Amino acid sequence: MLRKSLLLAVLVGICGQVAAAEPPPPLPVEPTGVIETLPDRYPAEWFLVHDAAFFHMSDGKVYVIDTSKDTVGEQVQGMFPVNLMGSYLQVPSRGEIMSVETFHTRGTRGDRFDVLTIWDNANLAVVAEVQLPGSKRFMGMPQRVALRTMNNDRWLAIFNLSPSTSVTLVDLETRSIVNEIPTPGCSFVYGNGDMTFSSVCADGRMLTVVLDENGAEQSRGFSDVFFDSDDTPIFERPAQVGDMAYFPAFDGRVQPVAMGASAAMPMASWSLIGEGEESWAPSGIGLDGEDDLGRIYFLMNPEANGVDGMHNAGGAEIWVYDPEARRRVLRIPLQEWGLSFAVGRGEEPKVLVTNPVDMSVELYDGLTGDFIRKITGFGQETPLMIMSAQ
Amino acid sequence: MMALIDRLLEKRARSAAQHASRRGLLKTLGGALVGASAVPLLPVARADGHGGPAHPQEQGSDTDCDYWRYCAIDGFLCSCCGGSANTCPPGTEMSPVTWIGTCHNPADNRNYVISYNDCCGKPSCGACLCQRDEGDRPPYRPDKTNDINWCLGTSSASYHCSTAVVVGVAFEE
Repeated sequence: MLRKSLLLAVLVGICGQVAAAEPPPPLPVEPTGVIETLPDRYPAEWFLVHDAAFFHMSDGKVYVIDTSKDTVGEQVQGMFPVNLMGSYLQVPSRGEIMSVETFHTRGTRGDRFDVLTIWDNANLAVVAEVQLPGSKRFMGMPQRVALRTMNNDRWLAIFNLSPSTSVTLVDLETRSIVNEIPTPGCSFVYGNGDMTFSSVCADGRMLTVVLDENGAEQSRGFSDVFFDSDDTPIFERPAQVGDMAYFPAFDGRVQPVAMGASAAMPMASWSLIGEGEESWAPSGIGLDGEDDLGRIYFLMNPEANGVDGMHNAGGAEIWVYDPEARRRVLRIPLQEWGLSFAVGRGEEPKVLVTNPVDMSVELYDGLTGDFIRKITGFGQETPLMIMSAQ
Repeated sequence: MMALIDRLLEKRARSAAQHASRRGLLKTLGGALVGASAVPLLPVARADGHGGPAHPQEQGSDTDCDYWRYCAIDGFLCSCCGGSANTCPPGTEMSPVTWIGTCHNPADNRNYVISYNDCCGKPSCGACLCQRDEGDRPPYRPDKTNDINWCLGTSSASYHCSTAVVVGVAFEE
């Protein structure tokens, strides 16, 4: 009996092995032509990394990166091009991305076309184009202040520099040009109320232009002179909390400018540096930012203060301030070096920094300053500007 | 490209220790030139008429980033792209407006006004990227900024490389 039981057990075992050796059923046939989509509103962990493609500028592009993930396959969510040193702005209320770019009919030659290309957030597909007049749109190092929306996000204001300066107004509903407002001697478009924009001027003042409901200029005015563009220049890129724009200065000060009034109003400046820190100064490309906690961030260079030509070199640390208290609340030492950075949304903000040594981007905790991860190998070459995704 | 950037960083650290951060960088861009209503077309006109060989009273190589004329430059040196410090490579177009810097020539101890005309109409040269930025100001001072693409007034907006043309002796302050 025992022998029969053993024999049966062996036979069952053999049969089981034979069954296990059979191949699994074949993979199902998959559909072709499936295209991924993204959410209309991007998560707070996502950033837009602008690779300006400095070594081949007609290939500029913006990567949509999920910084919470560990592998490239999970990090890269998509991409859209921004041709020839273009500018872009995400407009969450419209679910769209505005991209101002330039094309020639024969690549680097032929007729020139400047266009506003409108992409939708969810599909990263072109939904409209508006041809811009005059070969004049600002073309240079990536900026966060070359584009802004107005009139409840109905208009897009586009900064022009040819090198005469002006602002082109585009109606995003009708996809047509509304107006062009000259801003002689003054540059960029800063938010200052829904029907108003301000620009920073070479003579050290702020220009403020008020528009009427048709996009026509209603009035304009200038602030008092508050800096010397030769001797005490400010950077053109402010950190912004509410209606206050905080412009870093070459000499280590920060210059607040109130943008909530009908005219931009410079306030008293204060120093970012303390005793023993006299050699430090702001430096970089995307060298500042702000978070939803009301704090402002500056990329700081330990040897730039008072040294001509160091203002774009980037820095070794990011310093975080409570602007109301005018007090530094955190130092973020970078792994190697930083050239540009952006701060993410939310109560626990993350900071994504371009490391120019290896052209990677690196993620830091905005509350503790801790290094989280390096993100690289996603096709980037010169990620010169970063923005928080919206 | 990474090797190029590494070399750029190392070179800057060695040759301009007092000015350059060790990891200072590739900021860059675009080209440079200025124009602006305040300063503008005089340097341009002079640049167009220029174009000869380097002046004998100069020291150093115009393919080195620390060459005296490049004190405020930011871009690819045309000397490495088929042109020279004051000429564009074949088949390109020199921008008719430009920005200017003031550089000290150690060979004769004079300061010169340098016009950084871009050469345009072809893709980025890609060689001898050089960023020094001395006297550079943000784009709200277009006459002193190298942060914008100065292929303005040209048939093509495509930036190729940057020259550094002597357009005069600087006035003493």
